Amino acid sequence: MIINNKYITPLILAVFSLIVIAIAFQLDTSPEMIVGDSMQARSFPIFLMVLNLILIVVLTFQLSKSNPKSTPLEKFPTWGSILLFVLFYLLTVYTDMFIGIFLVMFLMCRLWGEKRIWVSLLTASITPGLIFILFDFVLKIRFPRGLLTNIYYG
Amino acid sequence: MFEQAITAMASVMVDPHLLGLIFVTTILGVIIGVLPGLGATTGAALLLPFTLTMDPVHAIAVLATIYVSATFAGSITAILINAPGTSAAAATTFDGYPLAQKGEAGRALGVAVIASTVGGIFSVLILCFAAPLLARVAYEFRSPEYFALTVFGLSMLASISAGGAVKNLMGGIFGVWLSTIGAERVTGIERFMFGNYELYEGLHFVPIFIGLFAISELLVQSKTVDKIIKTVAMKAVKLPTMEDYKKIWKTILRSCGIGTFIGVLPAEGATVASMIGYSEARRWSKNKKEFGKGSIEGIAGAEAANNAATGGAMVPTMVLGIPGSGTTAIILVGLMVHGLRPGVYLFTEQVEKVYQIFGSMFIANVMFMLMGLYAAKLFARVSLVPTAILWPIVFALSVIGAYAFQGQLLDVWLALIFGVIGFFARRHGFSVAPIAVGLILGEMVETNLQHSLKMFDGAWWLILTQPLALMFLVFAFLGLCGPAIYSWITKHKN
Repeated sequence: MIINNKYITPLILAVFSLIVIAIAFQLDTSPEMIVGDSMQARSFPIFLMVLNLILIVVLTFQLSKSNPKSTPLEKFPTWGSILLFVLFYLLTVYTDMFIGIFLVMFLMCRLWGEKRIWVSLLTASITPGLIFILFDFVLKIRFPRGLLTNIYYG
Repeated sequence: MFEQAITAMASVMVDPHLLGLIFVTTILGVIIGVLPGLGATTGAALLLPFTLTMDPVHAIAVLATIYVSATFAGSITAILINAPGTSAAAATTFDGYPLAQKGEAGRALGVAVIASTVGGIFSVLILCFAAPLLARVAYEFRSPEYFALTVFGLSMLASISAGGAVKNLMGGIFGVWLSTIGAERVTGIERFMFGNYELYEGLHFVPIFIGLFAISELLVQSKTVDKIIKTVAMKAVKLPTMEDYKKIWKTILRSCGIGTFIGVLPAEGATVASMIGYSEARRWSKNKKEFGKGSIEGIAGAEAANNAATGGAMVPTMVLGIPGSGTTAIILVGLMVHGLRPGVYLFTEQVEKVYQIFGSMFIANVMFMLMGLYAAKLFARVSLVPTAILWPIVFALSVIGAYAFQGQLLDVWLALIFGVIGFFARRHGFSVAPIAVGLILGEMVETNLQHSLKMFDGAWWLILTQPLALMFLVFAFLGLCGPAIYSWITKHKN
């Protein structure tokens, strides 16, 4: 069976709603003496997702009546930026948050079309530096330990 | 009460620290407003973590100043480069840019500055009088009324500008569902945590908002890297002449009323206000043909309305805890983070702080007027900062802001995840503001429903026997089904 492109969004949302309902049914129930005349913890999320399913039906009906323009696939800077978020996660977990910010900022500058390497390098190094000074000295916020922050915090 | 209000508002004038903070924030707000894509909501989301260590009044003053100054500043780029800095300034481009192309950019900006200032100050004055009155009414509210009110607030999401009604409601429901993540408040049962105990107290608003507004905007802006901006030359900002004032004063007053009223409605905001302000200016104008070709009435109508909506939107935010727009949702989070519980008690227990915040908004309006008149040309240059430099900086501010809130890396990952979710939602025509509003109202809806059920021994229909609750639910029903019923009736009449 081939599904028309315009119905993919309602389909994904419907699957999501059903998954939430299925998970909600697995939630614990609390004794009657605690809940009393009120509702169980699972009831409210289930109620919300049922409402969502009703709205999905309305949305599907609206889509069937209209012919929405298909959105062209994004260019590389968008997907590249999302990939850079993944890189940021890996760098932060395995090296240091500030190494992650520096590298991702530098690569993002380049990816978004900044041709001058020195400008990208300056942006990527000055910004986290200034932010670190502001948060550490002024707002007294400690950053997660990593290769660089270990040297600073000792 | 009146004396207390005046004293509190006047105390802002003699607090050099607060005045300095408002001055700096106004500059920042204007810069944020002129940068395409960065708007008041994203700016407030990015600045929220910086206010964590501030005094509560100072923190909310910073956020409110960002709100009013960025809302105004959107008009600078709308007039000079035909790119509204904020969505609220979209209507300003209709006549602002054509007037600038005629070589009258200074006049267009002058009208925008004066109309915005009058709109902003008018709405702050209304806020000062209306908020305590509404608070007195809200004093009578119990759980059924609060439940009905939040349902009404959520139903109003159907009519916000971006996205369709159904999509906005779905966004709101998704937001409410997000609020159920964590331990349920009455029974302590864990919901949707998947063994992650950092989520025990639920999702925190700050990282989610940073993701939904800032990170998702970053991804949206990544599509515009090749965009070339054309600017219009401007010599200086001119104040409107007496002739201009005669032409626009009625429009400004009308838009002040429209903007404030629309701002007060839950979930409506400056964008809707400016559009209605503009169309009403056109409807009442004697020179309808000038509209779209550089009418100063069009500029005044849109600008007075969008800034009047800022004060209006603060009324339900502070009195009822129901945000009037995306930015007020962030201000509401700011209030909560700083221990200022929005609602009646804010007006009975901490009334001095409330009026200090109102006073700060008043001063912010005056400050952005001065900046608009004397430095608009300079600020307009900021909009030419390359996106390839600006948005990586936004990325750094976002991740560090998300981390700083609680010192948890999980918040950084949540900000990034919700940034990507927000981007895909926007890509498919969903607005992110309803998700934010739903997230805030979610706890209120569920808790008040639980309390109401306990009150009525499980008989939920008894909620309808409470007159105020019934009124709000009828409003909600009309808000949701009114347009469909109206079009059905007119269709059958024809």
